[in-house]
Amino acid sequence: MKKVRLIINGRAQQFIIDPKRVLLDLLREDLKLTGAKQSCDRKGQCGACTVIVNGKAVRSCLTKVSELDGAEVITVEGLGTLQSPHLIQEAFVLSGAIQCGYCTPGMIMATKALLDENPNPSVKEIKKALRHVLCRCTGYKKIIEAVQLAGRFLRKELTPGQVRPDPNGPKIGVNHPRPSAILKACGVAEFSADIKVEGAAELAVVHSSQAHARIKAIHTAVAEKMPGVIGIMTAKDVKGTNRLKFVVADRPVLCDTTVRYIGDPVASVLAETRGQAVAAAQAVEVAYEPLPVIKNPTEGMDKDAIQIHSDQPNLCYSQPQIRGDAETALAQSAFVVETDFSTQMNHQAPLEPETCVSYLEEEDEGEEPTLVVIGRSINIHFHLGMLQGALGYENMRYEEAYTGGQFGIKIDITSEGLAGAAALHFRRPVRYVPSLTESMYLSPKRHPFDMKVRLGADRQGKLTALTMDFVVDNGAYLSAGRAMVFRALYMLSGSYYIPAVKALGKLVYTNNPWGSAARGAGPPQANFALESAMDMLAEKIGMDPLEFRLINSLKPGQPKSTGRVVEQWPFPELVEAIHSHYNRAKKEAENFNRKGGPVRRGVGLGTGAFGISMSGDSANVAVELEPDGGLAVFAAAADPGEGNDSMFIQIAAHLMDLPMSKIRLVTRSTDRTTATGPAAGSRMTYMVGGAMVDAIQKLKSAMAEARATNYDQLKAAGKPSRYMGTKKNQDAAAIIDPATGLGPSFESQVHSIQMAEVEVNTGTGDVKVIKVTTAVDAGPVINPQNLEGQLEGGVDMGIGYALREEYVAGQTKDWITFRFPTIATACEMEHIIRETPRVKGTLGATGVGEMTMVPTAPAVINAIANACGARVRHLPATPDKVLAALGKA
Amino acid sequence: MDQPAESSRPAGADALQDQVRSLAGREIVFDSEGFLVDTLQWTEEVARILAQESGLAVLTDTHWQVIRFLREYYLQNGRAPLNRQLKSGIGMSLLEIESLFPGGLKLGARRLAGLPNPKTCG
Repeated sequence: MKKVRLIINGRAQQFIIDPKRVLLDLLREDLKLTGAKQSCDRKGQCGACTVIVNGKAVRSCLTKVSELDGAEVITVEGLGTLQSPHLIQEAFVLSGAIQCGYCTPGMIMATKALLDENPNPSVKEIKKALRHVLCRCTGYKKIIEAVQLAGRFLRKELTPGQVRPDPNGPKIGVNHPRPSAILKACGVAEFSADIKVEGAAELAVVHSSQAHARIKAIHTAVAEKMPGVIGIMTAKDVKGTNRLKFVVADRPVLCDTTVRYIGDPVASVLAETRGQAVAAAQAVEVAYEPLPVIKNPTEGMDKDAIQIHSDQPNLCYSQPQIRGDAETALAQSAFVVETDFSTQMNHQAPLEPETCVSYLEEEDEGEEPTLVVIGRSINIHFHLGMLQGALGYENMRYEEAYTGGQFGIKIDITSEGLAGAAALHFRRPVRYVPSLTESMYLSPKRHPFDMKVRLGADRQGKLTALTMDFVVDNGAYLSAGRAMVFRALYMLSGSYYIPAVKALGKLVYTNNPWGSAARGAGPPQANFALESAMDMLAEKIGMDPLEFRLINSLKPGQPKSTGRVVEQWPFPELVEAIHSHYNRAKKEAENFNRKGGPVRRGVGLGTGAFGISMSGDSANVAVELEPDGGLAVFAAAADPGEGNDSMFIQIAAHLMDLPMSKIRLVTRSTDRTTATGPAAGSRMTYMVGGAMVDAIQKLKSAMAEARATNYDQLKAAGKPSRYMGTKKNQDAAAIIDPATGLGPSFESQVHSIQMAEVEVNTGTGDVKVIKVTTAVDAGPVINPQNLEGQLEGGVDMGIGYALREEYVAGQTKDWITFRFPTIATACEMEHIIRETPRVKGTLGATGVGEMTMVPTAPAVINAIANACGARVRHLPATPDKVLAALGKA
Repeated sequence: MDQPAESSRPAGADALQDQVRSLAGREIVFDSEGFLVDTLQWTEEVARILAQESGLAVLTDTHWQVIRFLREYYLQNGRAPLNRQLKSGIGMSLLEIESLFPGGLKLGARRLAGLPNPKTCG
């Protein structure tokens, strides 16, 4: 032990401490200063734990307390408070630089250290100072802008009051700060691991080392006797079905007879400390009998392949889509491109680990206690039902904590089953904080697609037909896998009118990590193939790619590939809007390339027509006029960072003509909210916002009928103060013709065209994205910063998907091996925003969150081809693949 | 027009789609577990037919008391009541309520009352 004196946030304190202890653990565990976050298993990769020590930004997870005697430490909590925030905190809020908020304290502290030394830094200096802090949500653009704004505040060129929109002014189309942003900026928004749970025991999990094997025995005797161990759980201790049923009941909470991928949970250990639990978990020995491993869909579909689930064929879902006679159309086409594409397995990469807290809450005497699960679900009512069945316990509540990013990963649940089962079995409050590697094991991945494509056009350049056969590696468990196939099919023809289509999507169980939703969920994969083929076909025809896209745009009155005729299609206007930017970029590339040398510049396009609101979709929201004249909004509407809080509050304040401070959101608990479907599919504004508008209209009608202007008058007239609003898709049922795949699909579309400008080093294969310009039409914009934030984060994610990121089971274990995009790789971005009101939109608006990355990968890949002729068909376009495409491998 | 090869379509894949049934003179949409997709399509006649299909020949006053409580609660709150709310609302124990309906509370009572399953995509 060693005695260390520190001044922490202005208060002198002394600690007698294990010399190996790091500052992050002292802050979070001993002092309960949970503003500093932990994401990367204390490897110094994420910077979410950044604090200031003696005026310098340091990663507290790498900083040993024993080396800090006499040091002055400032954490985000010491910078400012909710009542009196620091100017940097205000700048981050006002710049829209805060989405999920998990990286925010680290970003803010790195900014403080920079601006203390250099009050007016350049973008290059900002990038250097913030280079150790990762962000998955923002694409870093608004973070750089926040640092610049903070500099202006600190230099007294500007005050926050001059930037902050008038809260009493217009509510729609204005950058009113998100209500949650200041909580995140001050480090007081509590993520799951920040919640203080008295007497909580810590959980660790034994994961399968085998991809496919029978469990012969689990030896726990040694582990049970280790210090601090409370007990060990295996499948037999789970009292319910032990199956987390998303669509089919195939995924166990704890594996009973068989493990189906490396990482499958086999046993869990509860101990007094996390270290003790992890040590004991490592001492649990599992005896396996290996089974044949299905490594890919081809092996899975082999007639002699072992069946991974006894009650499901390996080819667990397939769906054709057939409209017109594509074969004849292709045979008669003047130009045809025929090739294949593939996309990689990828991790959605939220910064926050898959943390969960669970405990039993006592009820009145004689009542069964309530099992409370606190986690990051984006569909708390649905997931509650899954947990009730799996754990065999009905009296439960799910609460959504603040969520450190999700990007589709929380469409399904992981740690919740393990923590809930342990809380029930051991009757102890349980905290489960998996490591980053373990979080990667536990969580679903973006599905890899293999696609065979033929795309034809006539002599005038009009598309004639598309065929696409794609095979999707489902991994070990189904989860939302079927949705990847039908969503890809529903958006198959992208922005275009294609007279004849023949497609077949197949979903196959393998012993790889299981797939589920990931931003876009299916269409990003299929659209990469379509948009790459569009450029290849334009080249074959000898037509400019922008012109080619414009002449093939779908028009109102024409059908998508599903056969559904569209009534609005504001895509050609986006093509027109980006035209001058395209000409500028082409000219600049031409001038650049005239210089010669190995680095070549190129310009590439990608488009997206992203569907929102599936057939059969519905949402419901309750509103309640409160005695003080405020309005409470009840809906299980998760906000993992996209800004749903802004959307609800700005729309409600606008419609009720109330100050935004009078709108109260009740969204996080299954006990108090409506079950309104997942915060997924970019449906929140269109569906859930629409249901809230309906509820408010019902309230206002009742008030008008009663001639009431306030709560008392409404009640005096005998009217209720609470109203339920709904929004339903025009198609009540999600039913397509199984033979043709034709039928209803998405009700609304968000449209975009993106242009990537890249530089390719033809000597090394390295690709640098210089700029991405996005023209987008999502309808009237409720909060411009939130829309831009989605665009920027999505573009950054799309570039990572195009060039770097890949989840390789067994090799990808942290943010370095994942190749997490950093502020160093962040590119310039420009947006062109059009606002065509949608007929059925919420105040005319549709959604935007997922569309934003759908066109990015093909735009980047097309730009690489434009720069140097290298056509990369298999993502990601790593330098070796670029060189191979150049014939230099 | 081309047709997909029969062998490419696994048996049972369509069982996970919504289903439309003609009940009580109306086209009613059910999810793959037999729950109404739209609670407003529910009528007492629909409840009677679903009850008969589940082996309940007659819905007694007590059954109707549970069904009406569930519906009123759902229409007001957008979700099923908590068990303790159901117990106090009906004045019966949970076991008693469950034993009234084949399939218990969720697969029995809630389904007959036309409460939709929480939605997801998949």
